[in-house]
Amino acid sequence: MELTLILPEIAVVVIGVILLLIDLWAPPEGKRPLIAAAAVVAGLVCICLFVFPPALGEAFGGMFVMDALALFMKQFFMAGAVLMLLFCYVAYDRLGGRVSEYGVLVLFAVAGMMFASSSNHFALFFVSIELITVSFYVLVGFRRESVMSLEAGIKYLILSAFASAVMVYGIALVYGSAATLSFDGIAAVEGGLTDNAVFLVGLLLVTAGLGFKIAVFPFQMWVPDVYQGAPVTTTAFLAAVSKAAGFILLIRLVFTAAPETFRQWQPLLMIIAGATILYGNLCAIPQRNLKRLLGYSSIAHAGYMLMGVSAMNAAGRVGVLFYLVAYMFAVMGVFMALYLAHGNPEKDDIESLGGLHLRSPLVAFSMTIGLVSLAGIPPLAGFVGKFLLIEAVVRDGMSATGGGHAWLVAVAVIGILMSIYYYLAVVRSMYRNAPDARAKPVSIHVIGRIYLYLCIAGVVIFGILPGGLVSWIKGVMTGFGS
Amino acid sequence: MTELLMCLILFLPLLSAVLITLVLKRAAGTCGKLAIAAAVASFGFGVLVFAFESQWHGGVLLSVPWIELPGLSVGFGFLVDHLSVLMLLVVGAVGSAIHIYSYEYMRGDAGFSRYFAGLGLFMFSMYGIVVSGNLIQLFIFWELVGLSSYVLIGFWYERGAAADAAKKALITNRIGDFGFLVGILMLWGLTGTVDYDGIKNALSENPGVLGGLSTLTGLLIFCGAVGKSAQFPLHVWLPDAMEGPTPVSALIHAATMVAAGVYMLCRLSFVFLATPAWPEALSWLSAVTAPLVIAWVGGVTALLAALIATQQDDIKRILAYSTLSQLGYMVMAVGMIAPIAAMYHLTMHAFFKALLFMGAGSVIHAIAREQDIWKMGGLRKRMPLTFLVFLAATLALCGVPPFSGFYSKDEILLVAYGQSPGLFVLGMFVAFLTAFYMFRLIMVVFYGKARSAVVDKAHEGSITMTWPMVFLAVLSVVGGLIGVKHYLGAELAHGSVGESQWYLAVFAPFVHAPFIALIGLAAVVLGYISARTMYLGAASDPFPAGRALLARVLRRKLYVDEVYDRLNAVTQEAAAVFADWFDRWIIAGVCVRGAHGTTELTGRMLRLMQSGSLRAYSFWFGFGLVIVILISKSL
Repeated sequence: MELTLILPEIAVVVIGVILLLIDLWAPPEGKRPLIAAAAVVAGLVCICLFVFPPALGEAFGGMFVMDALALFMKQFFMAGAVLMLLFCYVAYDRLGGRVSEYGVLVLFAVAGMMFASSSNHFALFFVSIELITVSFYVLVGFRRESVMSLEAGIKYLILSAFASAVMVYGIALVYGSAATLSFDGIAAVEGGLTDNAVFLVGLLLVTAGLGFKIAVFPFQMWVPDVYQGAPVTTTAFLAAVSKAAGFILLIRLVFTAAPETFRQWQPLLMIIAGATILYGNLCAIPQRNLKRLLGYSSIAHAGYMLMGVSAMNAAGRVGVLFYLVAYMFAVMGVFMALYLAHGNPEKDDIESLGGLHLRSPLVAFSMTIGLVSLAGIPPLAGFVGKFLLIEAVVRDGMSATGGGHAWLVAVAVIGILMSIYYYLAVVRSMYRNAPDARAKPVSIHVIGRIYLYLCIAGVVIFGILPGGLVSWIKGVMTGFGS
Repeated sequence: MTELLMCLILFLPLLSAVLITLVLKRAAGTCGKLAIAAAVASFGFGVLVFAFESQWHGGVLLSVPWIELPGLSVGFGFLVDHLSVLMLLVVGAVGSAIHIYSYEYMRGDAGFSRYFAGLGLFMFSMYGIVVSGNLIQLFIFWELVGLSSYVLIGFWYERGAAADAAKKALITNRIGDFGFLVGILMLWGLTGTVDYDGIKNALSENPGVLGGLSTLTGLLIFCGAVGKSAQFPLHVWLPDAMEGPTPVSALIHAATMVAAGVYMLCRLSFVFLATPAWPEALSWLSAVTAPLVIAWVGGVTALLAALIATQQDDIKRILAYSTLSQLGYMVMAVGMIAPIAAMYHLTMHAFFKALLFMGAGSVIHAIAREQDIWKMGGLRKRMPLTFLVFLAATLALCGVPPFSGFYSKDEILLVAYGQSPGLFVLGMFVAFLTAFYMFRLIMVVFYGKARSAVVDKAHEGSITMTWPMVFLAVLSVVGGLIGVKHYLGAELAHGSVGESQWYLAVFAPFVHAPFIALIGLAAVVLGYISARTMYLGAASDPFPAGRALLARVLRRKLYVDEVYDRLNAVTQEAAAVFADWFDRWIIAGVCVRGAHGTTELTGRMLRLMQSGSLRAYSFWFGFGLVIVILISKSL
């Protein structure tokens, strides 16, 4: 009975294992069809997840919880997995003969994320994080022939291990003071531990570890180097999907395990959010390397989403989930366009995008749409997401328990203004600058074309008609949290 | 039923414009045919609406709520009454004729399909003005008309003069439209509604509802007409608008769009019935009322334009000043609270002035786009049909019975006689000038000898150009006898006015007010004789001889453009120079560059943290952890 609850995870792992096994005997020319087949099977699982959603319930003594939120996130991650496998299929030349290996790691990371979205216990919490992170160690350093990729991989490994160590120490401290690892258990005894320094420091260390995963100030140092060095597919995966895993864990931790404590810490979360927004946007301004720029901007986006969490209300959580969806479509579109625009994997600077609209109008357009949505300009989905997040903060500021968060709103708006500057600078150099004489017209595989249309459609549709998605997420969020 | 017809009338031209722009641009011939079909079909549906009068009862049909706010409710609907149906027919008839005529006239032009798309947009906007039942809808279409006029004046945009003329028209109209918008807002603010009916009811319940702002509101509403109908002092755009293709001049800048201002004034004539009043600070102006100003602006425009027209050499410019002068008549009539006379003259004028432009276009088309009348001559024999229709239109314009213009102009002069001797004398003098400049034109262009080889070989255009002219010629000849005034009278006045039997109508003016009819006729004859003695067989203009100063002033169009140039230099140009300086140094320099520099500098400094060193990163992580714990302790 309990196993049926984790059927989606089992399916993903099985696909991964089978892919790994077939890959052993597949001839070199069969690797690309293989990843396509994996994408199709993952797509079927994803459709099943939407059409026949699994039953809700708890498993393994409350360690694993399958609620509406977990289901939504699993659907999200599964969709992300399909997009990633398709990306691998299109970007085959970047990954070479080891493409199925790459796909396997993606699937394992996604399995970790799906476990993460159900984790209601620090053990599962930590194990799923490690499953994600270990897969990423390889994914970041995947292009072994590239020094930058290897350097990024090593940096990610060491810093991430450091963060994990901090986190596991924090978990130990929490266990030492609360005598339980279950989130529900901690929530039950939390009231008596408000003055317990061990408990509080433990919780802070766990939060810091999570802050590393979602890349908020001051735990964001790894982001630019890793984003720049990793293969473009991995960067997209890190930005769009892995960040979502961090946020679902944070939401579980903040609202299920220790809601009272985090309510006390609301100013801290807000300060972190504001600092993250400013840091990400300020550093992005002078950037000339597009992947690095997107890295900094992803820090800023983490700041916006943390702002939604720090609002401590249902509206904020709805905003975060909506933002994740909008962000995934925009970022996936931008990275796919980035991949298609740059023939050379070592060259990601903005200058080389000059005249992109002459080489491929579609690529230039989808890059523009993605960036404009990231900047939060209506009528695209990014605008709705930012609107929901800011609205949640304002709403909490006006409620009885909150206390006027005008400064945070101001910081967010200033950050958005700065982000418009550097995003549109990229758009300008695409359309205004002359193309490099040696640059060839972009040839796009039909799957890549469909992929771009899909991303554009997602950004535009959720921007113009956000009502359906918002009410869906509101339904998901009813009954969650206190 | 009527709703459906009205929808078709309004949206068919738009549909054709959209199809042409988006789908058919490459297939020029199809574009032209589609546009013609749309225009003619709209006209046909207009005739159906007219014929089935029993289907409607003079109100707003199909009012779709559009903006619903507390204190403001704006709908989108079709106002169907005698006034709008008459206007629909005028726009439809002239528009259809022009569409067909253009097919030949514009053939071979690179922008053929763009031209018909522009015409479609114009027809849509013009119909929109006609059927609007509230001020907001009116204003939207009002601006759309301005836009399509801009597009069509600047149709040959690669020619500097055309591009400038288009800009001039748009900007001049904007000045008038700004006043109009303020007037609309004041009407809304004071009466609480933007519906014609609502405002009318509010005013009939309490004519003082506009309070001390009554005269000002009236004048601001009139501002719209000053721009669109090119009244002094905003008349300067209309002569320049002749840079557009001639059929456009005929349709937009003679028959319909410029008449929109007069139509609007007639529609809103109830506003001018409010108790005239000024704010207290301006009470010394109490003798000045809105209708008085309107009547005199119209009269002055009529006079000045007619004077200028006597010394122009460009065939289209002569007609343009003539249009100004006739619009002045109409506005004068509105100012004397005689909307029937104004609309009557508007209708007649639409027919014969469109015809005059088409005749001029026919000549221009035949002699390789030459527009200087002193290079034409002797075209009577070479283009007999054009000559005949041109002569018919001229007689109608001058007001010779039984041609259409006679009856409508007589109507205006009759009102003036009863209300203001000054305006009556002015009107009579303009009638004399009209006959003078029009017969000057005819003598120079159609009589005498051909002045060049091209003119010598001129011949009529094809059937698509001549038949629309004949169609309008018929209307110009019999327009005064087909009961237009009767039709209008049933709507605007109480009880019947005018004769309903055509044979009585021919002599009606001579029966009712023989004195005025006869003086009017005498003025025309006098004008004809002066023009004939001076210009028949003349090789060059004899007028400046002995009257050099007067001739120069008239040729330079009374120096109005020059005065505006000077005025611009000291006001708008000076303000622009200052604004440019402010933008360059204060806004772009201090504000923008300052903000940008500060942010960028901060960004660069923060980036120094991002050294790439693993040990530094680990250190920052730990350091950040300590900071976070410290902050949390202080909470």
